[in-house]
Amino acid sequence: MAKLTIDGKEIVVPDGTRLFDACTEARGGDQLPHFCYHPDLSIAGVCRLCQVEVEGMPKLTIACNTIVRDGMVVQTRSERVQKASKQILEMHLINHPVDCPICDQAGECGLQDQYMEYGLYDAKVEVPQKVNKRKVKVIGPQVILDQERCVLCSRCVRFCDEYSKTGELGIFNRGDRAEIDVPEGVELNNNYSMNTVDICPVGALTSRDFRFQKRVWMLKAAESVCPGCATGCNVRIDYEADRIYRLKPRHNPEVNGRFMCDKGRMTYKTVHASDRLEHPTMAGEKTDWSAALARFKDGLKLGLVITSAHQSVEEMGLLKPLAQVAGGAQLSGGLAGSDMGEGDEILLNADRTPNRKGLEIVGLQEHAAAELAEMIRAAGTVLILGGNPAADEQVASALKSAGEMIYIGTHANETAALAAVVLPGCMWAEKAGTFTNKDGRLQGFKPALKGRGSAREDWRILAELMALAGAEEVPVSLPLLRKALNEDLFAGSGINLNQLPVHGACHGGESE
Amino acid sequence: MATSEHRILSSRFGRKDGHKLSVYEAEGGYQALRNVLGGKKPEEVRETVKASGLRGRGGAGFPTGVKWGFVPQDAEEVYFFVNADESEPGTFKDRYCLDYDPHMTIEGTIISSFAVGAKLAFIYIRGEFGWLIDRVQKAVDEAYAAGYLGQDILGSGYNLEMIVHKGAGAYICGEETGLINSVEGVKGQPRIKPPFPAVAGFLDKPTIVNNVESVAAVPWIMTHGAEAYAAIGTEKSKGSKLWSVSGPVKNPGVYEIPLGMPFREFFNDYLGGMVDGEKLKAVIVGGSSVPVLPADEIMDVPLDYESLGEAGTMLGSGGMIIIPESSDMVELIQVLMHFYFDESCGQCTPCREGTGWLHRIVKKLRRGEGTPNDLKLLEHVCDGMMGLTICPLADAAVMPMRSFLEKFRPEFEVLIQENEPTGCQTRWPRGEQE
Amino acid sequence: MSKSIEQKDFQLSAETLASIDGIIEKYPTKASALMPCLWAIQDELNHVPEPGVDLLMEKLDVTRARVHEVLSFYTMYRTEPQAENVLQVCHNISCHIMGARGIIAHLEKKLGVRMGEDTPDGKYRLEGAECLGACGHGPVMQLGKHMHEYLTPEKVDGLLEDLGKGETPRADTDRELEE
Repeated sequence: MAKLTIDGKEIVVPDGTRLFDACTEARGGDQLPHFCYHPDLSIAGVCRLCQVEVEGMPKLTIACNTIVRDGMVVQTRSERVQKASKQILEMHLINHPVDCPICDQAGECGLQDQYMEYGLYDAKVEVPQKVNKRKVKVIGPQVILDQERCVLCSRCVRFCDEYSKTGELGIFNRGDRAEIDVPEGVELNNNYSMNTVDICPVGALTSRDFRFQKRVWMLKAAESVCPGCATGCNVRIDYEADRIYRLKPRHNPEVNGRFMCDKGRMTYKTVHASDRLEHPTMAGEKTDWSAALARFKDGLKLGLVITSAHQSVEEMGLLKPLAQVAGGAQLSGGLAGSDMGEGDEILLNADRTPNRKGLEIVGLQEHAAAELAEMIRAAGTVLILGGNPAADEQVASALKSAGEMIYIGTHANETAALAAVVLPGCMWAEKAGTFTNKDGRLQGFKPALKGRGSAREDWRILAELMALAGAEEVPVSLPLLRKALNEDLFAGSGINLNQLPVHGACHGGESE
Repeated sequence: MATSEHRILSSRFGRKDGHKLSVYEAEGGYQALRNVLGGKKPEEVRETVKASGLRGRGGAGFPTGVKWGFVPQDAEEVYFFVNADESEPGTFKDRYCLDYDPHMTIEGTIISSFAVGAKLAFIYIRGEFGWLIDRVQKAVDEAYAAGYLGQDILGSGYNLEMIVHKGAGAYICGEETGLINSVEGVKGQPRIKPPFPAVAGFLDKPTIVNNVESVAAVPWIMTHGAEAYAAIGTEKSKGSKLWSVSGPVKNPGVYEIPLGMPFREFFNDYLGGMVDGEKLKAVIVGGSSVPVLPADEIMDVPLDYESLGEAGTMLGSGGMIIIPESSDMVELIQVLMHFYFDESCGQCTPCREGTGWLHRIVKKLRRGEGTPNDLKLLEHVCDGMMGLTICPLADAAVMPMRSFLEKFRPEFEVLIQENEPTGCQTRWPRGEQE
Repeated sequence: MSKSIEQKDFQLSAETLASIDGIIEKYPTKASALMPCLWAIQDELNHVPEPGVDLLMEKLDVTRARVHEVLSFYTMYRTEPQAENVLQVCHNISCHIMGARGIIAHLEKKLGVRMGEDTPDGKYRLEGAECLGACGHGPVMQLGKHMHEYLTPEKVDGLLEDLGKGETPRADTDRELEE
């Protein structure tokens, strides 16, 4: 361990700690000013902002490239340091265009933030004297580049070299003619390209999807988990009113670090698809909940319940009790081998469902198409919760000739088309729940939006059906439902779905 | 014209045949290498060079033997680089070394590589020295053929391969980590330190980068001994130095004189004073990146590291630029600010933006659009650059800028008051006007 | 995903290709061979066209971005065909003091172009250069591998005359050396 004094305060940190991080700790979480430093990338040391005074060293030194030594005495707020920070920040600003009114980064911009904190000086360079470079250059399907705004921190270049290992970006030319770009004929087109937008501290790299959509200070945030694959990257849903504007990765050192893939980032679009189910239907005709549920007022008997790996642990957890009370229905976790794709070595998993492991926990098995088709034919009434099994021909044909099918779903898909009763449920961004990732890590997610139209949370719909089937006790709230599942599924493992640790908890292994 | 008693480095300068291996050998060349490989250990070579007081002649002046000592003892893969990227304005001494006496540098490189345990040495020559690169490559080929390079050199068991690497036009590649990066196949931008090259340099392995003039002195030192070298020069500035002299003196060129000779003596006896019709105004003594000294401030200064430091400038590369009375100092500083603006690698913000900004402000002054605030602005920008960057290029731009402002401020102020464009005032040296 | 840009007439001589392979073998890593390989291509073709970049990407296992970073960083590499004779006159401090501006003005008049321009017939390009390492011999100009020093308007005229006849003017660095 190393004991050092930062701004008069003594702290003890492990050997090998970066002085930058030690300073953050000593300053109660307030990071030193910086652009180029990023904990997941190599050290560049080019922005020169994180300079501090270290006793015994004649020049100021950058904290990002300094490893702590026992007995170090550091000043981060001395007059000398403050003067240097101001001057260096000014250097970043002299050629920076005054784009704030039209720049998406406004409100979450490193330059703005640092200027407000310790700049606050008038410009000394007249606008016509500023160096001009290319603005609004589309460099890939997801990313737009503005070279004038770029502060040449090189985070994006290092990211493409070190993380996605695709090397599309470079810094060309020397001096103040230096510019970030892709070489001619090359596109920034890899499945992690949008992380460069996140890590760009200014508005040089921006998302084409988000361009001009919303000012960031208008956005609210909800903590969620990406439903795109079994990795379960932690995300933040940025939304306003009834619209999601973008997803951003949330830091989880056990799962996705600070990044996520582009495919996952775009999963929010399905929430706003035009074929969302908004109201209950019966035989294809729009109706309302009382009418639809009244169909079963004389009791609900189910022969088969099919779900999918897209549903939450809580929803899956209700299916066994429902099946039992509804006459001992058979259960299926859905089509085996469905929703698979190609995984990469980085974050994207070949399993494109967020909760296949959840089926295991709850004790549901998936079935091959032929077997599932037989189960359908043998059953009377079939309840399908989520997924889209009718996309498979065998399943669809079985459903066509089978008895009644009730579908709790979110999109007007093949399964909805074959359903006698469609009950609109909620997507992941519209409800709370828990997913289990490929490592068995349980991670909770919170809603951003309300359900579309008159859609209801899936667990609530299941509770209604349980009541119709004659259950004496039905869950009345999600917390109570989770409490019950804690006892049923996680007794002895200490897992509490109502209070999962911030980085999730592994089932069948150590908690975080 | 006086000539130096010391011909450690310059004994074959000016000759047509000095580059030949046969001539070099006949005049004692490669004997030092034979002696070293014939029984000395690398530590002995290091100690001898340390004791000699030889300091890095590229500009930093760091004790060469000490630098060699930074290579970890147990290092298995070590690289040696000779820095012939000579691009410091006013400097052309390394060119003379390689042009007239390439074998001196080659022999010095082999001994130095042996001293640090390197098995591969690069001679990095700036791309503009096209003709020189061919010449040095020929000399390297000769050395291979004679058994001074390659496997089991002179039966000693020591192996050294040597590659002549051609630069492609970037002053910043003269910075040792920029040079290393350049050879690794990436842009020649300097690296942040730590780590230092002696610990982790080329391919992250221990690396030593020495200037041509530094390694060129090694054979003589090994032959004549550390004391003999240390007997020349001053107490802290040992040995002889190659001075590159340019400007309107009677005898510009490259001179080898002992460190510590007073400028007056050098100027009068060796350089012959100014050409007829010119008077000495100022001297930039160590390549453009050091502060300028007005004539009256340099006249009695001994030409060694310490004395020049005390006088407010630096010995640097020893690229002595003689500035005549007829020169317009603001015009000259514009030339220099353009240089740093052109050559800044662009990596770190204070230098990238600052060099551009300094250049633009000076241009603005010369266009007659300067305001009194612009002089304050120049100083303000200098403050935001000095000592805050990855490498000293920013400092190299600031030192001339600040010193020109300090020592010749009236010439700047005149521009502001007059507020009209000024023309070029450089006199055509042979009497013709533009 | 990168697309290489087609150039119909791209071809390197067998010597150059062999030289490239030799360089790759000599240098400690493939990536470190980039600069000398770029020179090999430029020495033959007078510039490095995009197919040359493709070739080196493959042989050296480097990205296009990396090659272009290097090409754009150094002043001597060209990606477009150069004029037949590129005259680079030093305009740094020592040469300036010794009259570089006059030489440049003289050349501009003689060639009918401004600094940084090509003559319409593509035969000459006039450029400025930073310090060429010949400060005591100034004013200085670089032409190809050699330096022309101690320039005067007369010397410049002689040079242009030789070039105009298609002859290589004798350079100061082209000293008669005893072989």
